[in-house]
Amino acid sequence: MLRIYWRFWQVNWAEQWQYRANLLMYLFYWLVSPIVYLSVWVSIANVQGSVSGLTANDFITYYLTLLVVDQLTSEITIHIFAYKIQDGTLSGDLLRPVHPILTNALVNNIAFKALNLIVFIPIWIALFLLFRPDYSSVTLITILIAVPGILIGFCLNFLLGAMITCMAFWTTRVYSVSQFFYLLIVLLSGQFVPLQLLPPVVQQIAQYLPFQMFRFVPVEIIRNRLSTAEILFDYAISLVWLVIFYLLFRWVWREGVKRFSAVGA
Amino acid sequence: MPEIINVELLSKTYQVSEREGGIGSAIRGFFHRKHRDVKAVQKVSFSIQPGEVVGFLGPNGAGKTTTLKMLSGLLHPTSGAARVLGYIPWQREPTYLQAMTLVMGQRSRLSWDIPAADSFLLNQAIYRIPDNEYQRTLKELSELLDLAPILKKPVRNLSLGERMKVELAAGLLHRPQVLFLDEPTIGLDISAQARIREFLREFNYRTGATILLTSHYMADVTALCERVIIIHEGQLKYDGSLAGLSRRIAPFKLIGVALGEPCPCDLNPYGTPVFPNKGEDENGSKQYVQVPAGDVAAITSRMLADLPIRDLTIEDPPIESVIERAFQE
Repeated sequence: MLRIYWRFWQVNWAEQWQYRANLLMYLFYWLVSPIVYLSVWVSIANVQGSVSGLTANDFITYYLTLLVVDQLTSEITIHIFAYKIQDGTLSGDLLRPVHPILTNALVNNIAFKALNLIVFIPIWIALFLLFRPDYSSVTLITILIAVPGILIGFCLNFLLGAMITCMAFWTTRVYSVSQFFYLLIVLLSGQFVPLQLLPPVVQQIAQYLPFQMFRFVPVEIIRNRLSTAEILFDYAISLVWLVIFYLLFRWVWREGVKRFSAVGA
Repeated sequence: MPEIINVELLSKTYQVSEREGGIGSAIRGFFHRKHRDVKAVQKVSFSIQPGEVVGFLGPNGAGKTTTLKMLSGLLHPTSGAARVLGYIPWQREPTYLQAMTLVMGQRSRLSWDIPAADSFLLNQAIYRIPDNEYQRTLKELSELLDLAPILKKPVRNLSLGERMKVELAAGLLHRPQVLFLDEPTIGLDISAQARIREFLREFNYRTGATILLTSHYMADVTALCERVIIIHEGQLKYDGSLAGLSRRIAPFKLIGVALGEPCPCDLNPYGTPVFPNKGEDENGSKQYVQVPAGDVAAITSRMLADLPIRDLTIEDPPIESVIERAFQE
């Protein structure tokens, strides 16, 4: 099995290099919104001294950390897979005795990430030098504790993306479905604003949803803002979601392939 | 011997949504979709023995590809049953996928951005082919298909014929026992077609694999298949040997005569004049008439008596025209 993933990695890594220009465009698209939010909140905090107790440095460290977490947990399954369902090239994948999403699409996501990081790291260093954040609360320990969260966050995000992609089995408007979830994620993952700034009711709800593990929880763990109890609670919730997402994905995939093979591949 | 492919009353009906042009009907269509049933395959039954090479023929839209897709597990039938190697294809058991292949001439399964050699290595991993077996098969396929010069080039840069060769090789690396080939020679020039044919014959001989192939090129069929299955509008029209097909569809013989001196002879009284495309007759000295198979002897003796004949032959009609006739009926 490992060998399968290794070969998929080689193929995807080689393929990614063919699409370097595409990659740069995606990357800028991704970077723009957090950097804009960062700049806005920092200006407001500078004028007011703080926003709901968050200082300019809080916003800087929050968004600079979020940029990294975002890179690591984001996924692009819809862009690499939905078209295969729509134009029927999925047939070729279905003839192979391996799961196309849990092998090829997964590895493709990771190869895309790896290549992205090559460009992302220098940009991040430039931003770091520009904003000069005070990162004294971050330690190696806080980073290590956040690693499982980032992994779970990626897995959740990937499975959600895979399920949204599978909507292509039923509708040609799969990108509209994806936009809806994108908005939900931007709001409830803490990308738009740190979750503390949302109305208390929304914060309460967000605690029990999977989205905060996509960005907010790992960021706050790294910044050492969560108590041990909070971390354990968030991890427990996200693991429950991971199981739910996995089972749900298997079901959606099975039904989708059934439909695909009914209407004509 | 047990059958390797067994198909019973297999049917597939597609629902196709229909809409007329224009905005008005687009809006109506949004609320109320009109569907039309297209019966792509209707109650087709046949079985194939291990090692057979069977030609699957029919005009465009006859249901050939639909049948192949059902047999390779990509399509669920609407009704009927099929077993290949004992598996129900559309359950797509990994062990079944491991034992068969579907190669489509019009659809590429290789990544265009990387050399075929890399895709081959991926297939090795996916199909869990042990290293020594992989090397052996690759060497064999390389010899048969002359792959060495093209394996390292990105598939994007290959010619159509070269691409088909690597597609075939990629589909055969795991040494499948059953091959479904949909138009494996489409778009290729004559010599490339001949090479693919030669390869398939050799592969079948060496591995004993069972092959079911569709093709528009009758040369593929006559060179490879002793048995043909003809379907038309989703229904099975003929299943049997090529020779039997000629007997059933076209119980005719062609009498060819070369006349001793230029003469304004009229051959119409003896049979229907035809002009088969025969390579050996390029000087046009021979004329052909088509006669009912039972009357050959009588007509021949009449011709010999009446005409200044230098040479006379009695031939079967070319298989191309026989199959064309079968489609038309």
